[in-house]
Amino acid sequence: MKKIYFYATCLGTAAMQESIINAIKLLTREGIEVIFKKNQTCCAQPSFNSGYFKESKEIALYNVNLFEKDYPIVVPSGSCAGMMSHDYIELFKKDKELERVEKFSKRIIELSQYLDKVLNVNYEDKGEPIKVTWHSNCHALRVQKSIESSKNLIKRLKNVELIDLEYEEECCGFGGTFSVKEPEISNAMVKTKIKDIQNTGVKYLISGDGGCLLNIDGTMKKMGLDIKGVHLYDFLLKRIEGERL
Amino acid sequence: MSSEKIAHEEIVRIKLNDTQMRENLMTAMHTLQKNRLKVIENKFEDWEGLRTKAKKAKNNALMSLKDRLLEFEKNAQKNGMKVHWASSDEDACELIYELMKQKKITKILKGKSMASEEIGLNHYLEKKGIKAIETDLGELILQLNGESPVHIVVPAIHRNRNEVGQIFKEKLGAKLESEPEKLNAIAREHLRAEFEELKLGLSGVNFAMSKEGAFWLIENEGNGRMCTTAPDIHIALCGIEKVMESFEDAATMVSLLTPSATGQFIPTYNNIITAPRKNGDLDGPKEVHIILFDHHRSDMLAHEDYYEALRCIRCGACMNFCPVYDQIGGHTYQTIYPGPIGEVISPNLFGIDQTGDILNFCSLCGRCSEVCPVKIPLAELIRKLRADKVGQRQNPPLGAEFMHKNKGESFVFKQFKNLATNGERWRFSLSKAHYFNYFIQNFKHSLPVIKKWSAFKELPQIKKDLYKEVQNIQGVVYE
Ligand code: SF4
Repeated sequence: MKKIYFYATCLGTAAMQESIINAIKLLTREGIEVIFKKNQTCCAQPSFNSGYFKESKEIALYNVNLFEKDYPIVVPSGSCAGMMSHDYIELFKKDKELERVEKFSKRIIELSQYLDKVLNVNYEDKGEPIKVTWHSNCHALRVQKSIESSKNLIKRLKNVELIDLEYEEECCGFGGTFSVKEPEISNAMVKTKIKDIQNTGVKYLISGDGGCLLNIDGTMKKMGLDIKGVHLYDFLLKRIEGERL
Repeated sequence: MSSEKIAHEEIVRIKLNDTQMRENLMTAMHTLQKNRLKVIENKFEDWEGLRTKAKKAKNNALMSLKDRLLEFEKNAQKNGMKVHWASSDEDACELIYELMKQKKITKILKGKSMASEEIGLNHYLEKKGIKAIETDLGELILQLNGESPVHIVVPAIHRNRNEVGQIFKEKLGAKLESEPEKLNAIAREHLRAEFEELKLGLSGVNFAMSKEGAFWLIENEGNGRMCTTAPDIHIALCGIEKVMESFEDAATMVSLLTPSATGQFIPTYNNIITAPRKNGDLDGPKEVHIILFDHHRSDMLAHEDYYEALRCIRCGACMNFCPVYDQIGGHTYQTIYPGPIGEVISPNLFGIDQTGDILNFCSLCGRCSEVCPVKIPLAELIRKLRADKVGQRQNPPLGAEFMHKNKGESFVFKQFKNLATNGERWRFSLSKAHYFNYFIQNFKHSLPVIKKWSAFKELPQIKKDLYKEVQNIQGVVYE
């Protein structure tokens, strides 16, 4: 049996437990043994992006030490995966720990990449025919480069039609602490994004990133729109189990 | 740089409320984005290869900059041009003023030049009673309207044609028009009168070639060419980083520049200036002066990371693709260079204490790094400057010693680190406390705007304790 470490991410642990549980179930139903480290915390992205490199390094090393065995570390978020697979190396570029960090970073894989590329899963779609559109998380798109796999998984569902979102590669304005530091600009950005989503005419927005969803879906709810933001891993599991969205 | 800065939050609010500007900008940016993608797809076989080549060529020039500059000086002089050196912005302005005094010239016509904006030339000359007249259409519109450029390539892109017509009507007494051709005709007529008594023309430099002792200017309107050929004297203002080794190197840059900037395959006008007018030449200035100015560029060159931003060819693609710039426009940055590249070079040129607040204008989406033709890792550099801003790096840029440190924020992140490196405590607080509450409560002291998160968005409903749930899933080892 294949063993993997599962990295729940801080946002997943704190605010999106349902999606994390569904993500884990997508792995266990493929017969994977999922190791959940109860002492896992955060990938350090908030402090890193705010320029607190010292604190970020300590958190990074904590993670390197915690996930000690040589299993793949599967992360259900392109953003956190990108941080750990790419930005950690940047952070330790001139440090003596670089080699250890690199070894750790090589084991990081985003969940959709793992399902798509490693397991090459086969999904039977039990849901009604629907149309959805997709929001790409910036870090997943440009750093972890996991968007292709995420979309591949959706495309395997025979009753789902994926409608292109115009300006898909434009940031939704979440950007972690950006949305806290510049809330007005962030809000202007997400409003622009929501207009594009409305233009597609679909009722479901799928995304593989919890932060973007909190941002987009939270705003759509506040606006009282009839469009639902759904996390990719909730979406997949519900489709293959024939559950309503 | 202007001294009357508006407070950060205030300017953001003002610009976000300027819906007309935002609409103009958004439409224009999307057009520029599409044009760029189209030309790259249709006209280039190996865009990525060209980027790599350009990065290398520019890095070579930077790594041997001293030799390049001396070689350029030697060859340009041989060609009959006069070469001047200026270390500061003030020096550069003074040089131009002195030249004008010597020749008893009181009016100067300018082609588009960000360098002249950087050194604050118009303002400097104005104080001396000299009028500098812009000939670039965009710059002219701004000058008439008393504004600064909003963008480094298309300075008046935040104005639509109706607004331009209005400006021409008000300031030039022209008939109200909105057709681009008619607007152009108004500008042409206005400028023709100025060109007639032209004695001194000023331009920037896109690329200077040390081997050839020549420089290259690209433009779209032809007015820049008027400035460099019609008058008796031509002064070219050139940041030292613009000097490259050879004509081939410069050609590589030009072939990346226009597609990146506006989506054109090649520029409408290429001016390669090698010498003043020679015997038998029908036109051209009798004197060509070139001012090589530093203005903290050598400090940047000495920096282990920020030197990369000296590769910039001022194409503006990074701002065309920046989702933050899109919303707020260039004026919000309150520095001559806005957008992602501005966030990197403005703190280095003008001081991080003066311009560091613009480092907030970035969600780190990384799109700027992706489109930059010379592969400047803009997002990474912005993040590093943030670390400089909070005092966490060895080699900070200009003005760091005067930086105001946000103690509240650094306290929050220290606490965050303590929690994130202690699994037990982390688990305890996450299973008990609302994650966002934690951040909201703790950011309150350093970031008073936090309330707005919930003003704009619904917060998620927390129903479950993940730790408990995970243990019940079959096939999961909880350890
Ligand atoms: S940083 Fe790159 S994309 Fe931005 S203006 Fe300079 S060359 Fe162009």
